[in-house]
Amino acid sequence: MNERKWKQLFAVVRKEAAPAPSEDLAANVLRAIRTGRSAEKPETLSIFDQLNLLFPRLAWTAAAIIAFSVAADWGLTAAGVPDVGDGVSQISAQWFLPPNEF
Amino acid sequence: MNDDAELLERIRNGAPDDFAEVVRRHQSRVFAILHRYERDAHKIEDLAQETFVKAWRALEQFDGRAPFEHWLSRIAVRVALDHLRKEKRRQNEIGLPELGEDALDWLRRDDEKDELDGRAAAEILDLALRALSPADRVVITMQEIEGRSVKEISAVTGTSGVAVRVRAMRARAKLKRALEKLVKL
Repeated sequence: MNERKWKQLFAVVRKEAAPAPSEDLAANVLRAIRTGRSAEKPETLSIFDQLNLLFPRLAWTAAAIIAFSVAADWGLTAAGVPDVGDGVSQISAQWFLPPNEF
Repeated sequence: MNDDAELLERIRNGAPDDFAEVVRRHQSRVFAILHRYERDAHKIEDLAQETFVKAWRALEQFDGRAPFEHWLSRIAVRVALDHLRKEKRRQNEIGLPELGEDALDWLRRDDEKDELDGRAAAEILDLALRALSPADRVVITMQEIEGRSVKEISAVTGTSGVAVRVRAMRARAKLKRALEKLVKL
């Protein structure tokens, strides 16, 4: 394409007028703004939504408790303190399986 | 422009309905910008609405150092750029439209007296501009159609003057090649 045609093409396009905005444009913009504002209000979350939001924290907390318990049990066993299993056996022997009195 | 400052101050102080006046004052300018990137009047209306809603949301960031109209123009160009990116993806899926007879005739002839009407010119340019990236298209449109300076384009697009010059040069070459391809159709 030569320079003359290039210039002619742009000159014609430049003259093209934009369509006129509709009379409702301002009202539509205000409506969209208001709708946007109401959508930004905090919604009431269901118990499941709240659990979903909390899930990562709950999962990490649970993992930390498990890790702490395992470490504590391992530490206490190493120190010679009776572990939970021993305690349970002792309780069941004393309370649930008392010596035969007859 | 002082009127704009007063109006914006009123809006910031709790009169959001006055934003309708901002829309009325600047809608023609916003339409004129968007019209360069989209020919469908309904789509232009939607894009103009999007421009004003974005301006509303970012109103706190307007510091008044530049005229409000310049700030709003920048938002309109960004909206147009996003629109072009979406359209580009869509066009890749549906293919290119065909040129009308008037447009093809004008492209093939090399007669100085050959007239070109606005619709055919827009058709040709629209098709050729599809060969450009959205960012290239914005730069060439602002330079060749809107007649803006490198400094103005740089301010609107947020890129350096050198980057604008380089992009404009490449875009011009790409557009020429695209137009030459159309001549061979």
